[in-house]
Amino acid sequence: MMNFYASRAAESANPSIPAPKYITSESGSVTGGPDCQGAAITISATLHPVGDAQRQPRAVGHARVASKSRGQASVLGDLYQAGASKVVLPRSRPGALDAVLLNTAGGITGGDRFDITAIAGAGSTLTMTTQAAERIYRAQPDEAARVSTRIEVAQGARLNWLPQETILFDGSALRRRLTADLTGDASLLLVEPLVFGRALMGERVNHAQFHDRYEIRRNGALIFADAIRLIGDIHAQMALKHTGNGAGAMASLLFASPDAERFLDPLRRALPEPNDAAVGGVSLIRDGVLFLRLLAPDSYGLRRRLIPAMERLLNGPIPRTWTI
Amino acid sequence: MTAPDPHSAALTLAQWLSPAFPIGAFSYSHGLEYLTSTGVVGDADSFLEWARQILQHGAGRNDTLLLAAAYRAASDAALAEIDALAAALAASRERVVELEDQGRAFVDTVNAVWRLDLPPLTYPVAVGATAARCDLPIDLTARMYLHALATSITSAAMRLAPIGQIAGQRCILALRSICDDVCAQALAADLDALGSSVFLGDIASMAHETQYSRMFRT
Repeated sequence: MMNFYASRAAESANPSIPAPKYITSESGSVTGGPDCQGAAITISATLHPVGDAQRQPRAVGHARVASKSRGQASVLGDLYQAGASKVVLPRSRPGALDAVLLNTAGGITGGDRFDITAIAGAGSTLTMTTQAAERIYRAQPDEAARVSTRIEVAQGARLNWLPQETILFDGSALRRRLTADLTGDASLLLVEPLVFGRALMGERVNHAQFHDRYEIRRNGALIFADAIRLIGDIHAQMALKHTGNGAGAMASLLFASPDAERFLDPLRRALPEPNDAAVGGVSLIRDGVLFLRLLAPDSYGLRRRLIPAMERLLNGPIPRTWTI
Repeated sequence: MTAPDPHSAALTLAQWLSPAFPIGAFSYSHGLEYLTSTGVVGDADSFLEWARQILQHGAGRNDTLLLAAAYRAASDAALAEIDALAAALAASRERVVELEDQGRAFVDTVNAVWRLDLPPLTYPVAVGATAARCDLPIDLTARMYLHALATSITSAAMRLAPIGQIAGQRCILALRSICDDVCAQALAADLDALGSSVFLGDIASMAHETQYSRMFRT
């Protein structure tokens, strides 16, 4: 596990040439359908304004997964996938529907646009993760990638949003937004690990843009928001003593649930010790809202502290894709 | 309401943002008490390093954006939305206390003294909304709000670390140019620009919750 993303380094040795992608029109519609996956598609120049010749092809992905309850089980209620987003449904654990998101474009670059919707229907449990870490490649100037995630968790339902690491490469530009609407006694576990460059390859993120915004509502009222802003020399910004003190990886974990409070002490006990290279904090920000932030020198150190916390909150193992 | 003359506006803001205004500013350290207990902050230089990052990359910048948005809010509903966002952005339980308790005390006082009818609001939103009601200039309001925050954390640092009166005043003066820069940037932006990167500052605020011996509420 120590080199968990080093094995992917070879295929991404040249980040400026991402894997094949769908090319889209200005309106954002997909011109290459899901069945021409991987094929080279050219597009009429008239679809792009003059001066856009240097722009990279754009990937667009849409995915929607919904779970519903059937007796004691959680089963698929709705599934939609288009463009570079694919959804794999492995054999689920009892009581929960597991869904794995896959980006067939092999990464995210400037101008890409991904829209993901995850819905846990009344009384059901849906666990979402990703097939692999998501690499955010170099973008052309003024061409940020956008990733929007919409989550709905109905009465009596639980949704676990557990993507693997997002890895920011030098030159990347990403605006990400996640909104979640919880109804009644719904529960949401949200984990977002973030890695700044591939430290194992001596890479530094000296010029990038990362905006990450979260808004969680229960019965329409905003109960939690987070806004992360890292612009320019992210390596230098994270080196400051009170930002990251040189951390190369960070995770945010949110657990919104009526019984969140009973996990406060166990998570506090699981925090890194003062002599650990990792640093973390946890707070029951308000009733039913537990928030944890972890910083570590690298993704290995991050996982070492993050996974026990996830297992505690899941009351079981983390998704299998995390361990392969 | 016609705009008050500039001197009167400055004095109104000086009154609201003075340490004598009854919001209990002296009882909040913004997590600094934890950092002095662990020795991370122990003198004027290490305090200034922390304060600069809080003002530039953390609460200072976000609070100024929220204050400006509250000042410009077109309706009570818009103001309520900005206020909900300000409260939800708190990264720790003690940060909620700082925002809500100081905000409530500020609103109670201006409602009573200036005969306003503001609802309870988080602190930066309360200052922005009140300044708009009283037609005070946004630039000066934001600048003096940030300066008051710089003064308040310096005063906490002087009680927590061996930083003397003269060194403390040097710190406040040194923070002024950062306050000016943050204000200039924040006033030209909207709430899309919200965002922090003072992650260890947030963790310090979380750790203060379980600190054994404490003088400060946060």
